[in-house]
Amino acid sequence: MTHMHIPDGVLPVHLWLLGFVLMALVLGLCLLRLRNADLKKKIPLLGAVSAVMLVAMSLEILPLAYHINLSVVAGILLGPALGFIAAFITNLILALMGHGGITVIGLNTLLLGSEAVLGHTLFYLLSRRMPVFWRTALATMVTLCIATVALIGIVSVSHIDPELFSHESQAPGQGLSHEGTLSVSRFATMVLTLGFFGWLIESAISGAVVAFIARVKPDLLGHALHRDKFEGDNRGAVR
Amino acid sequence: MIDVARIDHWAASGSGPFHRSSPIAKVFFLLLVVSAAVIAKSPYALLAGYGALLVVAALSGLPWPRVMALSWYAAVFALLYSLSIRGGFWIRMLFIVKAITPSFAMLMLIVSTPYPKIFSLLSSVLPEIIAAGLFMTYRTLFILLDMMDNFAAAIRLRGGFSPGSLYKNSANISQGIAMLVVRAVERASRIYAVMVVRGYSGSMAEKASVRLHPEDWLPLSTGVAVLLLVLLWK
Repeated sequence: MTHMHIPDGVLPVHLWLLGFVLMALVLGLCLLRLRNADLKKKIPLLGAVSAVMLVAMSLEILPLAYHINLSVVAGILLGPALGFIAAFITNLILALMGHGGITVIGLNTLLLGSEAVLGHTLFYLLSRRMPVFWRTALATMVTLCIATVALIGIVSVSHIDPELFSHESQAPGQGLSHEGTLSVSRFATMVLTLGFFGWLIESAISGAVVAFIARVKPDLLGHALHRDKFEGDNRGAVR
Repeated sequence: MIDVARIDHWAASGSGPFHRSSPIAKVFFLLLVVSAAVIAKSPYALLAGYGALLVVAALSGLPWPRVMALSWYAAVFALLYSLSIRGGFWIRMLFIVKAITPSFAMLMLIVSTPYPKIFSLLSSVLPEIIAAGLFMTYRTLFILLDMMDNFAAAIRLRGGFSPGSLYKNSANISQGIAMLVVRAVERASRIYAVMVVRGYSGSMAEKASVRLHPEDWLPLSTGVAVLLLVLLWK
């Protein structure tokens, strides 16, 4: 649920423009951080993880209308900087496919990218004695909860203005002068209720995915960006 | 599932007026339609714009029934969002049309432009790592979609799907996704190594033209028409 499927022209212009500006700033910081990285190794990993995210995001879990993002898995596998770039790539391609508006790419990237960064940070902050499955699942659960609150925050500050539709409110029989106002509590209830089940599913899947990778191909988790931090893990915490 | 392989086939095989126009003109066309969706206050105006796009797509030989069906994919999420709005049928309809019209324009762009041209244009404005990442993602997506089909068939053949057993199904699907990640990284690494051997150094061999030419009249005039329709609708 932390990917907004809001069509173009619904959010106020200043909000989505701010989203693009902030996204550009964070992308700039990520590129700065990666300026000395060996891109030949990173680009295939970036492409593969972004593609897996795309496949995951195109699969709807019915009847929740929820799709998993795998953004925390991307953060753990790629690190925060590349994880944020993967979030941008995924959102751009999704928008190219008509899945979410073009004007909300900035805000969606900030949401999804923050999940990658936060998921990565929490994963490495959690006790290394904890099995990889539970570390990932817990990091995913907390990350998705925070990101969903951020999503509700964005929607609530959007203050969708009834005046936006005032042209039609004058049409006979439409009576929209008091309609079109976003009920934040209604939106929050819907997103948090449906989202909770989605977080559980995504946490379990993310945990299982990272635990499987830690068993089968642990070098994917120990790439150059955080090799030192993970070496201890591979010895002690992988179950 | 997004039918990327079919989109790629349409983009590479067509020869209509939309296929012949330059990618930059089609990007301008898309921006004009997005602007129309942003400023639209009437669903009828935008619906008329959507109708105009349908006519242009049909006359240009684009696979308009499939494009139309794909564009409605965006309506599902717009409908979910509009349900949280205190508004009637009118507003829900406006939100849905705001979702499907830019989506249709976007699909018209991608089904009429081969992906190297799109990525070439993008690589001229984006940093190398992002442009290369976009390209690798797009290529890896095809491989993943094939793998997904094989995975689904394999898991059924081996009795991996058990109706009613959520735990068993989730565990199998999770392991399948994990296997997908591992294989995707291996394949992407191989593809990238082959590309580097063949001379790839972060940019596409085919440079995108950023100049307009006479054949660009169709996307440009269609975009302007949709925007004017929304602006002048009373």
